[in-house]
Amino acid sequence: MAALLRSARLLKCLPSGLLQTKGTIRNGPPLSRLYSGAIGGKGTGVCLRHYAVIPEQKGPAKDESSLGVRSKQAQQFDWALAKLDSSVRRTGRVTKTLLMRIFHDICRTGYPSGNQALLLLRSCGSLLPEVPMAERSELARHIWDKLKELGASYDASHYNALVKVFLQNEFKFSPNEFLAKMEAAGVQPNRVTYQRLIAAYCNAGDIEGASTILGFMKSKDLPITEAVFNSLVTGHARADDMESAVSILSVMKGAGIEPGPDTYVALLNAYAERGDMEKIRQTLETAGSTDISLMDRDLMQVVFSLAKAGYHQHVPSIVDLMRHERGYVPDAMNLCLSLITQGHEDTAFSVLKTFPTLQQENESGDSNNLGNFFLRHCVNMNKPVEKLARYCQELQDSNCHAAPLQFTLYCCLEAKNTATALELMKIMKEQGQPIRPHFFWPLLMQHVKDRNTVGVMEVMKGMQELGVPADVETLSNYILPAFPNVAVARDTFKVVCFCVHVTFLADKENVTFWEHLAGLEENQLELSLSAPQSHPPTHSHGPGVTFYVLVSISVSLLSTEGVSYFLYNLIDSMSEAEVQAQEEKLRQYFNQLKSMNIVIPVNIYRGIRNLLDSYHVPELIKVSSDSPSTGLGLERKLAELKAEGKPVGPTLKQLILSLCSEEKLDAALELKSQHAADMATGGYAALIHLCCRHNNVDEALKLKGELSHKDPSVSLDSTKSIALVKALVKHDRMEEAVDLLKEMKEKDVSVVDTAVTLLFHTLNAAALKGDVAAVRQLQATVFTLGLTKPTANLCSPLITAHLQTKDLSGALDAAMECQKQYGHLPRIHDVICGLVENGDTELLQKAMDFVSQERGEMTMLYNLFFAFMQTGRHREARKIIETPGLRARAGRLQWYAEKCVAANQMESLESLVEMTAKLFECDRDEMYHYLLRLCKNTNDWRKAEATWTKMQEENVIPRERTLRLLADILRSNGQEVPFEVPEVWYEQAAATETQPDTKTGNTSTDLQLKLLILCKRDLHLPAPLSQSDVDFSSRTGRLFISAVNVVDLMSLFVSSFLSVVFSATTHIPHFKLNDIANSLLIITQAKKNLTKDALATLKSMLQADQVPSKLSITRLVQSLGSHGDIAGIQDVEALMKGLGNPLNLSPMMFVNNTAIARIKNGDLDSAVEGLEAIYTSAGEGSQPASMAFVFRKVLEEKNITALDKLSAMAERLANHFASYGPASDLFIQLMDAGMKEEAKFMLARCSAVAEQREALVSYMSRLSRTPGQVKLCFLALSLLLILSFSFSLNFFDWVCLTVLARSTALDNDLASAKALYQQMQSEGVEADELCLKRLAKLYKSAGESVPFTEPPVSVCALHTPLGGIAVSTASARCTRNIMDPDLVVIPIRLC
Amino acid sequence: MATSAKKIFELFVSKVPWTLSSKEMKEYFGQFGQVKKCLLPFDKETGFHRGFCWIGYTSEEGLQNALQKYPHTLEGATLQVQRNRKVFVGQKTNKEVPEES
Repeated sequence: MAALLRSARLLKCLPSGLLQTKGTIRNGPPLSRLYSGAIGGKGTGVCLRHYAVIPEQKGPAKDESSLGVRSKQAQQFDWALAKLDSSVRRTGRVTKTLLMRIFHDICRTGYPSGNQALLLLRSCGSLLPEVPMAERSELARHIWDKLKELGASYDASHYNALVKVFLQNEFKFSPNEFLAKMEAAGVQPNRVTYQRLIAAYCNAGDIEGASTILGFMKSKDLPITEAVFNSLVTGHARADDMESAVSILSVMKGAGIEPGPDTYVALLNAYAERGDMEKIRQTLETAGSTDISLMDRDLMQVVFSLAKAGYHQHVPSIVDLMRHERGYVPDAMNLCLSLITQGHEDTAFSVLKTFPTLQQENESGDSNNLGNFFLRHCVNMNKPVEKLARYCQELQDSNCHAAPLQFTLYCCLEAKNTATALELMKIMKEQGQPIRPHFFWPLLMQHVKDRNTVGVMEVMKGMQELGVPADVETLSNYILPAFPNVAVARDTFKVVCFCVHVTFLADKENVTFWEHLAGLEENQLELSLSAPQSHPPTHSHGPGVTFYVLVSISVSLLSTEGVSYFLYNLIDSMSEAEVQAQEEKLRQYFNQLKSMNIVIPVNIYRGIRNLLDSYHVPELIKVSSDSPSTGLGLERKLAELKAEGKPVGPTLKQLILSLCSEEKLDAALELKSQHAADMATGGYAALIHLCCRHNNVDEALKLKGELSHKDPSVSLDSTKSIALVKALVKHDRMEEAVDLLKEMKEKDVSVVDTAVTLLFHTLNAAALKGDVAAVRQLQATVFTLGLTKPTANLCSPLITAHLQTKDLSGALDAAMECQKQYGHLPRIHDVICGLVENGDTELLQKAMDFVSQERGEMTMLYNLFFAFMQTGRHREARKIIETPGLRARAGRLQWYAEKCVAANQMESLESLVEMTAKLFECDRDEMYHYLLRLCKNTNDWRKAEATWTKMQEENVIPRERTLRLLADILRSNGQEVPFEVPEVWYEQAAATETQPDTKTGNTSTDLQLKLLILCKRDLHLPAPLSQSDVDFSSRTGRLFISAVNVVDLMSLFVSSFLSVVFSATTHIPHFKLNDIANSLLIITQAKKNLTKDALATLKSMLQADQVPSKLSITRLVQSLGSHGDIAGIQDVEALMKGLGNPLNLSPMMFVNNTAIARIKNGDLDSAVEGLEAIYTSAGEGSQPASMAFVFRKVLEEKNITALDKLSAMAERLANHFASYGPASDLFIQLMDAGMKEEAKFMLARCSAVAEQREALVSYMSRLSRTPGQVKLCFLALSLLLILSFSFSLNFFDWVCLTVLARSTALDNDLASAKALYQQMQSEGVEADELCLKRLAKLYKSAGESVPFTEPPVSVCALHTPLGGIAVSTASARCTRNIMDPDLVVIPIRLC
Repeated sequence: MATSAKKIFELFVSKVPWTLSSKEMKEYFGQFGQVKKCLLPFDKETGFHRGFCWIGYTSEEGLQNALQKYPHTLEGATLQVQRNRKVFVGQKTNKEVPEES
């Protein structure tokens, strides 16, 4: 034996990570290692999405209608996984119910993935302490077979997990057969498999068998790890050869492996099985003297071994040794549960009594309830009532539990354990505690559900024996419903001769019974309705369907704020599609709220607006479609404008901006000096920024001076100011920089995020020069002025400056000062690293004390740990991380791991991963994922494969992304992948849409980001698609396509987009786009004139029950129209009718486009006919919407014949049918197109147009808002004034003039304004204050005296944006109220 | 503002131990004033009540008496008592109806 071991290749050559292997025979493996939280958070998302798609990929064609059902299943499954995860994290165990539920869920879906199977198998061992071992093994076998049947493919990790579970369950099996089975299945056993099989032999005391396996390992040249030796210790002990068992330790040492804690635990267990307390004590001492600390968890195994071997009497002395570390309680609970399950409840009880009393939970007078779990499990395990009573008594006497009997009874009732419950109640009654009728309800409830009258009678008999009469409620709710009718019940009672209150069954009393029932229902109604009140987020209520009801309720019940939150949550919980579908309802609701004077707070309003924004992607795209003007064009335009004497302000600004963006500083400056008079603030700001970028501080300051000279009230925005500060600091002009910062404060410039970043760079630049004083001065100025909040980032340059000058003590002091002043500890890691490196223990101590005091011990330990890691002092680092009670801090670990990955520090990262193996709550999969990422970066497949084995050894369940990453590394190196790679392609509508973002895993989000970047950067679009690791959720799909769409709009190839869709469709047979993606596709196709394809897309969308967006339909119809495809338009119209018009499409859209199509086809007559029919057939009240679109198109295409026909039609309609819409549309379009003569004639021929006040006023108002349109405005007005005799209403003139005044003011056109004022006077129109104010300003700015008394309105009201808003709302209101002349004046006065 | 005639004086009681039924609750809270209503909803699935209860007094006085006592200990358990802030459906609030002019 020993020879065999000695000749085996030993571990010295192995990475140190392999030495730290776990014992394979532990009873209660630590949860952090066993489980690793592989399914929480991101994992959940991955699993879920996987789950949702697999059936579609491989399964037989499922019924389409089951989509909803499946999505519901998906949600349940997700819930269960999360629950399982949190259960293990909190308690280190799972309940069987939960496990079975997840198992059944997975079975229902049909296709379990590899890691789902692993998860289930893994959970069948000691994670189920409440289930007897035989049952656990049976369960594992069952799950194994069932999943295999369902098509799960097993790899080595699954076999390893199965052996592990068998070992944990002490299940007897033949390792040789197991190996044979594995080989028959074509799975190669690996080191971990052999290790565990050796453990299996050793557990049975079969050293012979273990040697055989060792022989295999040797022949395969596999390393012999500590775990193997540990097993051998157990093996020899079980073979009753303690001497050899002990000698293994020296063999280990001879082989260069130090016995670890697990070795000692194996030895201790061996002694425990013999009840040899003396040896146990000795071994513990030896372990202690060799610097090996045994955790409570290790000692618990010894307790378990003692109890199993029947040496209960020795348990207390071991229990006394425990140190009650963090995590003691859950571990000890699991020990108790296991002991109870194994029938050692008395031992369990003695362990329970050592529990630390929970931290003074009863300060509020609350009763203690230690031992609830114990009592519950005893009840579940059907322990005899006498024992239960004894435990209860003891718990109560020792003041651990206030009401143990009641609780035990509660458990019995919950478990529907009638016999025990009745017994317990008897005991309670003897103790003088009250027994009440409702105690029996849980028991009766079950019988009522099962209609089990016999059961009911049994309970009633118990009630009678206990002397508890059944009251009305019991009878009516919990007894009678079990019987078909009252008569039968009465008969039954009579037969059995119960002396219950049968009188209640009299008819008269039946009335109360029903009343009671009705009352109950009402109560429940109240309850269910009060639920949304207390929890406004109503996700569970299926918002699409019921929200309107809830809305009404909320409106009538909730406060304003409640309504707002409700509204936000409502919209948040709805998917895009739902919002679009419910748009009308939402609008109604908004209107309703408005009518109720409910004002939504601004911040919530913003949130809602953002949500709605994000739901209406197409609208945003529409905005971005304007192509930027080129500099050249602008220059020409500027020259033109200048020549014509028109205002050049806006164009100048645009030109300067475009020059600035081209970094042409000189050109821009020259332009500025040419047009100094016309320069606006924006132009100056851009120039200053440009100067800063070009390091031209003097010029920048000069410009700033000019700007403030021009308008002292104007201030630069924060980004530009800070940029200037940065330039100043760069030139060491500190005073000016500080002054500028002060000025920012004075002018109350709000500092935006980008400016803060810029500020950091400013500081950092100074710091890198080692200029401590400058940094300190700037920092102090910024923080004392309160320009921005001090953040760790902003504080860090000060430390950087010190570090730069190698002044560690100064750096430490600075960091401490930052902590004291601003509560941040910037760059403490670097400082500590420096101290460790220098070996400056005194300062290090000072730093540690400080951190510990300010941030807590844990932070201090982590800081020290990382400092040791960073400086390569791994031994010290290990000591730190093994500090008892230290918990994993995911954020900190991630920070360091990312650092290693980025800096390519494999060794450091490996040690980190290995050292954190035992760390409490450490996410192992995450840790290994970092390692694999680095392997991927270095393309080191050997390391990756070794990592995979280590993961199995550590029982880590990999997330799918980890597996994919691993597979990717192996594949790209031409290696075979030894496991099934999770499928990644999928697309499903229901599941993702019903879930909020949180459920989309990080992987997906990352990928979305990556994809977006890829899309933006170059057009190698199909490239990411062909990569196998691309994750493609519907959200990704949408983002992806919208990105493509944006790209596309920038006049790039649509073909690339289409090829993406095409390749996606071919890659995955079930690839489907969701509503929004499809809508976008339609828009793109329509834009690219691929109308046939677009129509086909629409049809397939409708078939898939998707709702297209309004914009997509509009674009499609327009495209069809311009192609002359009348049939297509009719098609779409019919399709939309079929939808019941949820999109609120205007019927005119179809009419107009049909007309366009006909015109396009040269069929003018039918075009005119069609339009005319619409207008003539419209009833009195319903004016059809505008046909301006048709006119515009015709004008654009300069189709004179068509225009003639149409204008003839419009006149005909106006003159004969009193339908003036088309005529006024035409007039406006003519004006817009600059065809003034035609417009004039039109007006002359058809004077009624001038009476279309509404249309004309809104047109004028629109015109007046765009600068440079005064002439056009005047023209329109003069044209109309010719006919003004026909309408003498003052308000019309008034509106027109106001509008005009505004546009003259906008264009600074004093001449026009003067003319206007004269005209106003001659017409006898009284100008209002706003109008006068504007005029006055014009006069003043031209340096002329104002010929009227200026109204006393404050000047800035007109200048500020607010004033602008007031003006536009005023005019908006007056246009809105135009139909009611009396109202017009009121809103204006109010403004 | 004419709707304030029916004022309600309600307590919301939580942490009610499972051993108590509405009878005991009514009895206990009866000592502070006349109890008009006692609602302790039971879960039809499990047969246990849900651990919370509403107590309605006929007068403000009863409500105040109950609120002034602290702690409310009943059969060894401490009940959490607070004024009921949520309004039941069916009982119209005395909220003002915006007047239309």
